[in-house]
Amino acid sequence: MNPPREEVGEFTKLLNGFMTLMRRFIFKVLCVGPIPNHISFIMDGNRRFAKKHNLQGLDAGHRAGFVSVTYVLQYCQEIGVPYVTLYAFGLDNFKREPQEVKCMMDLMLEKIELTIDQAISGNVKNVKVIFAGDLNLLNDRLKAAAQRLMEVTEENKGLVVVVIVAYSTSHEIVQAIKESCVRKCEGGDSPQVLKVSDVEECMYTSIVPDPALVIRTGGIDRLSNFMTWQTSRSLLHTTAALWPELGLWHLVWAILKFQRMQDYLQKKQKVD
Amino acid sequence: MDFNEPMLLLSFWIGQISDLGLDLLWRFIHIIVSLCHTVFGIFEAIQSYAISLGLIRKYSSIDIDKLRCLAVVVDIEVARDVSKIVELLQWLTTIGVKQVGLFDSQGLLKKSKDMILEMVPGSMLLQETGEKETSPDRNGIAIEFISSSDNKEAVVKAANILLEKYLKSSHLENDEGENVFTESHLNEALRVVGENVHVPDLMLVYGPVRSHLGFPAWRLRYTEIVHMGSLEYMRYGSLLKAIHKFTGVRQNYGKGLMMIVQAQMVIESRASEITFCLFGL
Repeated sequence: MNPPREEVGEFTKLLNGFMTLMRRFIFKVLCVGPIPNHISFIMDGNRRFAKKHNLQGLDAGHRAGFVSVTYVLQYCQEIGVPYVTLYAFGLDNFKREPQEVKCMMDLMLEKIELTIDQAISGNVKNVKVIFAGDLNLLNDRLKAAAQRLMEVTEENKGLVVVVIVAYSTSHEIVQAIKESCVRKCEGGDSPQVLKVSDVEECMYTSIVPDPALVIRTGGIDRLSNFMTWQTSRSLLHTTAALWPELGLWHLVWAILKFQRMQDYLQKKQKVD
Repeated sequence: MDFNEPMLLLSFWIGQISDLGLDLLWRFIHIIVSLCHTVFGIFEAIQSYAISLGLIRKYSSIDIDKLRCLAVVVDIEVARDVSKIVELLQWLTTIGVKQVGLFDSQGLLKKSKDMILEMVPGSMLLQETGEKETSPDRNGIAIEFISSSDNKEAVVKAANILLEKYLKSSHLENDEGENVFTESHLNEALRVVGENVHVPDLMLVYGPVRSHLGFPAWRLRYTEIVHMGSLEYMRYGSLLKAIHKFTGVRQNYGKGLMMIVQAQMVIESRASEITFCLFGL
């Protein structure tokens, strides 16, 4: 005889409540040690996940990946990480099949519009969303949606989420040099000589501090043209888990690794 | 009023005790994590010695031609011990690596380059061999010495060259000023300021942490980054394994020492599960 639905529902609620309490307790213990000021995620493995689980549709893996995004952001917020960067779409990704690129753009648009609605109805109070990258390479509708989401969450305090789209370090450096040259000329300074700070303040990612911890999923050991300028003193952590598989334990393990190395990383920063 | 004071004191002490409890639990978790790392280290060392002795056949053959440019990043503290660097370079020469970029953030290796080149047989400074593919007759290893000054400062020097070009062209009537800002222009400007722009295929990091420590960002785009541990405890077998993994050679190998390899792989892949099972979560 099956238990009635109400009992199953009650049991699930109790279990969820218990899991939430356990999770918060784990985070409380974790927060005894230093927490990274900024965590960057290279979200790799969505397509492999879809293939592994025989999911149909070009965007199936990326949809699963978005679910992972919501959990990871929730965990980071609960832990108290001030800045999170998500490498959502690189310039190299434009070289994929046009249909797949369109699917990804449509999915991004869908999720941004959903987040805008949630922000307007007050469900995204403690999250500020910023888009970084060459937004001019996005289609008009997606660009407008991204701008709108940034406007709607501009005044929010709390977790700052930087979504990196249409980005590569090499493109960022070139564009930053261009921008700093233009500013230098317009400023009329003499002599006109660029400094490192001039270039850095024109970078797409100048709005956030350098990452303390970079987590790449999918088992790949490369940075893939992502923030190589900003990660001189970052701990680079790779996990074999595909992005949709990234869970609580992977994040906790990465932060524990960061805490073990914190003294060394701080010494490096002082030497700089 | 009298009731509030003991309550405040009680809540203060409860807070102190719970903070102490959390602190102790955190330290205990880190002891477990350190134990896990020690166990991994032991398995890694056993495997490394097995590879060095030639007991794991799959590592005996490496398609070294797939590794055109290797970068080695060393921690500044370790960079002072040149003998270890020389030993590493000798190993790389034995394996057949033709080109290596040695990086330390403070440029200590650059200062010792003459001594290093003297002590590594057949080695030469990379500039002497030119940037193009060297002839197959050359047996030695070409070494490039890199430091943090080749990173951001070099890019900014190159940027100033582009700024000069931009200033010159912006006086022209047409819009030529915009065209100097491309990746190929920056590459060219970096060459003018004396920088190598080749992207290493593989980077080996010798230090406590997997971090590129400020290796030139412009060159680091698609480089595989492998953490080798401290240079003080470097092992030939681990070096062979890292290069073999990169070159992706697949060979049939004997089952003799498979158990060690498999045990290590299982433990590595289940690292976080083991850690958290141990404290009952």
